[in-house]
Amino acid sequence: MTGRPGGPAARTPAGRPARATDSRPPGRGPARGRLLSLATLLALAAPPAAARGTPPPGAVPLQDSVPATRTPAPGTAADARDAELDALAAQIAARLRCLVCRGQSVAESSSQLAREMQAEIRDRLGRGETPEQIVDFFVESYGEWILLRPPPHGVNLIVYLLPAGAFLLGLAGVGWWLRSRRAAGPHVASPTRHEDARDDGLDPEDRAWLEAAVRERR
Amino acid sequence: MRSALRWALPLAALPPLALLGFGLTRDVKNLPSALVGEPAPDFRLEDMTVPADSISLAEHRGRVVVLNYFASWCLPCIVEHPELVRLRADYDPDDVTLLGVLYQDAPEKGRAFMRRHGGEWPAVVDYGSRTAIRYGVYGVPETFLITPEGTVAYKLVGPLDRRAAPVFRAKIDSLLAVRAAGAGDVERLESADGSTR
Repeated sequence: MTGRPGGPAARTPAGRPARATDSRPPGRGPARGRLLSLATLLALAAPPAAARGTPPPGAVPLQDSVPATRTPAPGTAADARDAELDALAAQIAARLRCLVCRGQSVAESSSQLAREMQAEIRDRLGRGETPEQIVDFFVESYGEWILLRPPPHGVNLIVYLLPAGAFLLGLAGVGWWLRSRRAAGPHVASPTRHEDARDDGLDPEDRAWLEAAVRERR
Repeated sequence: MRSALRWALPLAALPPLALLGFGLTRDVKNLPSALVGEPAPDFRLEDMTVPADSISLAEHRGRVVVLNYFASWCLPCIVEHPELVRLRADYDPDDVTLLGVLYQDAPEKGRAFMRRHGGEWPAVVDYGSRTAIRYGVYGVPETFLITPEGTVAYKLVGPLDRRAAPVFRAKIDSLLAVRAAGAGDVERLESADGSTR
C-alpha cells in the first residue's frame, strides 16, 4: 500500500496535456524554423516529435496548417461540404501509414510529408474522387505497405490466420495433454511407494517373506 | 510423452521468435518500389534556376532519365553530389538526362546548394511534394532511372555514392545498349542487365 499513492498520481489526466504540449516540435511560429526542424528530423530518420495522443475522431487538427487553396465561407452550404470532406480526408489518412514515422498513421503524424499527403487527399476529394480511388492512388505509388490494415489476400492472409491457427493449435495441445494424463491414470501421474516396490526385482518367495516380516513388525 | 512435451514447447516458440527477428532486422526502406516496370508519372514543374520556366518529364523522351530527388537540408545529398557531377560529365546529355527534383525545400536554397557544390544540370521544384508522392518517395535522396520510353527501370533509395554508383551506371549502360539495339521493353533491359554484371 505504501507505493500506491505515487503511482496513480503520476498518471493523472491533468499531467497529460502538459506533457503533450511540451513534446510538440519547436518553432511553431515561423514556418522556416519549423521546416528546418522537420527537415532535421527527416534527415536523422528519427521518430516524429509529435508524441501527442490520437486526435478525436472527425477532428482534423493538422489541416489548419496545410497551405490550402480553399477559403471557407462560414455558415454556407459550401462550408458544411468542406467540413464533411475534411472529416472524410481524416478517415482516409487514418488508413495510411506515415512513411517517415514508426507505427503512426498519416492522420496522426505532424511530419511534413504526412501533411502534404493530407493535402493531397483533401485535394483529390475536392476533385470528386472516391476514398477507394484515393487509397488506390497511394497504393500505386507506395505499394500495399502504405496500408495500415493489409488487404486479406495472398501472403497477407498469414497475418489474419496465424493467430487463430496458433490459438487452435494451442487448444488442441492442451486438450491432448489433459486426455493423455487422464488415460494414463495415477500410474504415470503419481507413482506410489507400493508400486515402486513391485519393481525392485524380488522373486515371489522373498517378497512373501518380506511382507510377512513387515506385517509382524507392525 | 512427457519428455516430448518438454521439447515441443520451447521448439514451438522458435518459429514466432524467428519471424520476429526477421521482421525487426529488415529495413522498411528496402521495400521494392511499386513503380518499377510501370510508366513514370509525367510532370511539368517550375524550373529551379529560371522560375518563369517549367520543365516536363515528357520532353526528355528518347533519353535515359536520371531523376534525382534532393534537398539542400539533406546531408546524404551532399555525399552523393560528387558522383552526380561525375555522372553528368561521363555521359552525353543527348543520351542521359540528369534532372534534379527539389524536395520540401525553397528554390533559392536549392540554387545555393548547386552553386556551393558545383555541377550544372536542370532541376525542378516540387511544391507540396505532389510529384514525390506520385513517385512513392519516402525521403531524400532517392534516384529513379527511367527508360527512353518512359518506364521506371530502377529506384535507388539513399545516396548514389561510391558503393551504389557501379550498379547504377551498369543499369544506365544497359538501358543505353537496349536503346542502341532499337528496342526497349523492360524484359530486354533485364537480360541486358544480367549480361553486364
